[in-house]
Amino acid sequence: MTSPPPSPPPPDADQKRSTFEREALVHLDSLYRVALRLTGNEADAQDLVQEAVLRAYRAWEQYTPGTNARGWLLTILRNLFINEYRRRSRHPETVDVDTIEPYAVFPEIQDEDPQATFFDRIVDDEVLRALDQLPHVFREAVMLSDVEGLSYDEIATVLDVPVGTVKSRLFRGRRLLQSRLYEYAVSQGYIKGQTS
Amino acid sequence: MNCRECIEHLYEYLDREMTPELEREIRAHLADCPPCGEQHDFEAIFLKFLRARCTAQGAPLDLRRRILEELFDE
Repeated sequence: MTSPPPSPPPPDADQKRSTFEREALVHLDSLYRVALRLTGNEADAQDLVQEAVLRAYRAWEQYTPGTNARGWLLTILRNLFINEYRRRSRHPETVDVDTIEPYAVFPEIQDEDPQATFFDRIVDDEVLRALDQLPHVFREAVMLSDVEGLSYDEIATVLDVPVGTVKSRLFRGRRLLQSRLYEYAVSQGYIKGQTS
Repeated sequence: MNCRECIEHLYEYLDREMTPELEREIRAHLADCPPCGEQHDFEAIFLKFLRARCTAQGAPLDLRRRILEELFDE
């Protein structure tokens, strides 16, 4: 353990600090990954995480120890992003996501590459770029589910939407991402694809 | 359970986010229907691929240090 500070804080502050480190700061990687996908750049992502963690620490009394700290932190981070960062970091969405009905990739590849080995040839940066290009509501649902592993209920809480909306966004978001990665793979010659 | 319904619920099945009844129906359909079974395998590969490719990045050490300083060095 670290050596004691020069002037020891009162025991309750000490306890708050150790609980916060143990239950909240362990989720820093998750918070940063989500922040990076929300803001689109490292500087804003770092500022967003720092501010969100600071707010969480100030509001720590509202958190019930042992419950879902990551969901609670991600909710703070996302609300902060919506209120403070979104307007200046990204243009408002101009597409109506309800009209997006992406096609299924599997029928396109089932004869040529049913095990989808073409995915292996796509580098990480390209996957992240495709994720970043999804409409915002799809990106955050896919991110929280497929990258951070939150349950539908947890995602519904963070995004403040019904579980049915989470299902629908995940379905369309995943398919859209899949179709874009497939189109990229075709453009790079990783897979021939259907010639239409 | 027909193929269309099965494919519609495939992600919920893979995410283990459905009622036990529906899960049984999907499992039975997948066992009987090779095309849906193959699509299930493809979607499972895709989700695994996504997670593997997007979790490599963590918070920079410098950010961690700054946060600890700001929180506790007051």
